[in-house]
Amino acid sequence: MKFIIQRDLLLESIQHVMKAISSRVTIPILTGIKIEAIEAGIKLTGSDSDVSIESFIPKENDGIVNVEQIEPGQIVVQSKYFPDIIRKLPLKTLEINTDDQFQVNIVSGGSEFHLNGQDAMEYPQLPVLHTDNSFEIKNDLLKELIKQTVFAVSTVETRPILTGVNMRLEDNLLNFVATDSHRLASRKIPLSTENEGLSFKDVVIPGKSLVELNKIIDDSEETMSISVTENQILFQTKNLYFLSRLLEGNYPETSRLIPEQSKTTVLTQTKALLQAIDRASLLAKENRNNVVKLETKGNNQLQISSNTPEVGQVIEEVTTESINGEDLKISFSAKYMIDALKIIQEDHVEIDFTGAMRPFIIKPHENEQILQLILPVRTY
Amino acid sequence: MRSWNDLEGKQPVAVEMLKQMLIRNRTAHAYLIHGAPGTGKEEIGHLLAKSLFCKDGVGANPCEKCKDCLRINSGNHPDVHWIKPDGASIKKEQIAHLQKEFTYTGLESNQKVYLISQADQMTINAANRLLKFLEEPNRQTTAILMTENSQSILDTVRSRCQVIALKPLSPFHIQQELETSGVTADNARLFAVLTNNLEAAKALDQDEWFAQARKLVVQLISTLQSKQDETLWFIQKQWMDHFANRDQLEMGLDLLMYWFKDLIYLHIDQQEAIVFRAYLSELEKGIWVWSRKDTTQILYAIMEAKRHIVQNVHPTLVMEQLTLQMQR
Repeated sequence: MKFIIQRDLLLESIQHVMKAISSRVTIPILTGIKIEAIEAGIKLTGSDSDVSIESFIPKENDGIVNVEQIEPGQIVVQSKYFPDIIRKLPLKTLEINTDDQFQVNIVSGGSEFHLNGQDAMEYPQLPVLHTDNSFEIKNDLLKELIKQTVFAVSTVETRPILTGVNMRLEDNLLNFVATDSHRLASRKIPLSTENEGLSFKDVVIPGKSLVELNKIIDDSEETMSISVTENQILFQTKNLYFLSRLLEGNYPETSRLIPEQSKTTVLTQTKALLQAIDRASLLAKENRNNVVKLETKGNNQLQISSNTPEVGQVIEEVTTESINGEDLKISFSAKYMIDALKIIQEDHVEIDFTGAMRPFIIKPHENEQILQLILPVRTY
Repeated sequence: MRSWNDLEGKQPVAVEMLKQMLIRNRTAHAYLIHGAPGTGKEEIGHLLAKSLFCKDGVGANPCEKCKDCLRINSGNHPDVHWIKPDGASIKKEQIAHLQKEFTYTGLESNQKVYLISQADQMTINAANRLLKFLEEPNRQTTAILMTENSQSILDTVRSRCQVIALKPLSPFHIQQELETSGVTADNARLFAVLTNNLEAAKALDQDEWFAQARKLVVQLISTLQSKQDETLWFIQKQWMDHFANRDQLEMGLDLLMYWFKDLIYLHIDQQEAIVFRAYLSELEKGIWVWSRKDTTQILYAIMEAKRHIVQNVHPTLVMEQLTLQMQR
């Protein structure tokens, strides 16, 4: 393998793939970066076996030559030393070549490094994904989807499947659902492009991978394509591929959890409610469950209170737009409520209660795409 | 790397069973391979993992050339997880890692193999966490547990695994293995008879205590043969000092027993069965002192002494009584 490349481009690629590399891996080869030279350009790969990131440097970009004198081949280099070496090289361009003994020579101006590489055969083979099983989505939309659901995934491993976000695609409607069995967050988005016949429902993406993905993609109008195989999911932008393993198992059927009717409906300003609950939770934090109490009063008034005997008591009055239906007293976790309200960008929020012991729904006013469900807490 | 055929000599039954399973594609979801140290548990586990992954294998044998085989050999296969005790026991984090792996799909395909060495080192907690996977196996996941002591594996775990019992090595095999690892033929013979496990035999080769013990046995015999008056003094002064605890005493008696067994072999002219080959000339002197009948009686006496040691009779008394019986 041999090629001459712009240093900055290579460095940028290295920084991308380094995000996937972790120092605590069980198989030794994953501490390395795989470099693959093909006719069309250079591809770098980093992986911690859960997520893998591939970054591609095309040979030419809009007539600007990035990589020259490519002789195809592949090698794995130590990620501990390689990035620092590239960063500190003296010239703008550098040459990398390898021999059959897996020696990597890096030459730039007067400096010359000889690194011990490893056989690329040893590196995990990432699946080649078929593009016909994919759909497209805008970057910022995907980021929104992730932000609005991933906070609700379970952090305990007792039910591992719940540590992921369930992705469904049916009738051109993309649906992300996350739950930790105490609360649920769901977001639907209609897809703009035609994806006739493409549908799946048992794809569960680990929450950690989505958090990682959210950091990597930039907030732009560009589109990315998503493809799913049996065991991996690929998020693909122009020159960056993000692969994640999936969670194995069946995601619980969540649609039945969502109550269809409501006995009490509250319409209120999102911000006012959020702040009131945030304040009420100040005292509730002492309490392990972080529980606040909500009570409907006449005159469209809502009272939120929290009482921790050894600390004190707080009562918040919130004036709502409207309260319809039965009177209600309910207790719930302030943290879950805050999480749910935070991701709602609309000014007004609608909360549907079906009794003090039944889960309630929070959704933006006149927006059916976002739905949050919280289970109340039993208090005496 | 060895193939199934190489292992067949050592473990004919187990290997044949596994080979047939692989050829007929009827592998179980979990195996528990148990056998004494040196019986080839890890080799079999390793080979089994390769056979499961390799697509170009002939019959049950992996090809050793494809990517899967090469990477399993170098420990770089992403879907093969080998848990070995980290220090004295299998740590909680190691099982946690394994549990996480259970919930994820495979990296390359959905085929996954987990190997756990010294599975008896798992805490009860760790073993119970494993149970969940053993109870609800995935179709393409195989667990291979390896242990020296299948009895210390939780019943609930053991009952969910296909148990593959490995035969203890025959002295002949141990002797061969020892010789290939550089122990002299005479010593190899002795070690192989004394222990039925390879690791212990190798340890004996390095053990100074054992070398000294062997010397003392030869000295005791020659004292018995030539200076009978000094034997009790010898027992008091040297023997009891060196053979200080019960295990050591038993080892001393074992050595004596093999010595007199050798005498019998000499009497009946079966020189090839002799254990103390290095001391053939000393043994031959013994023929003139002890007749075949004497030797048989001494052997009985040694067995009796061994029993006494186990019954907590005072060791010095046991040895004194034995030496009196050995004197004609």
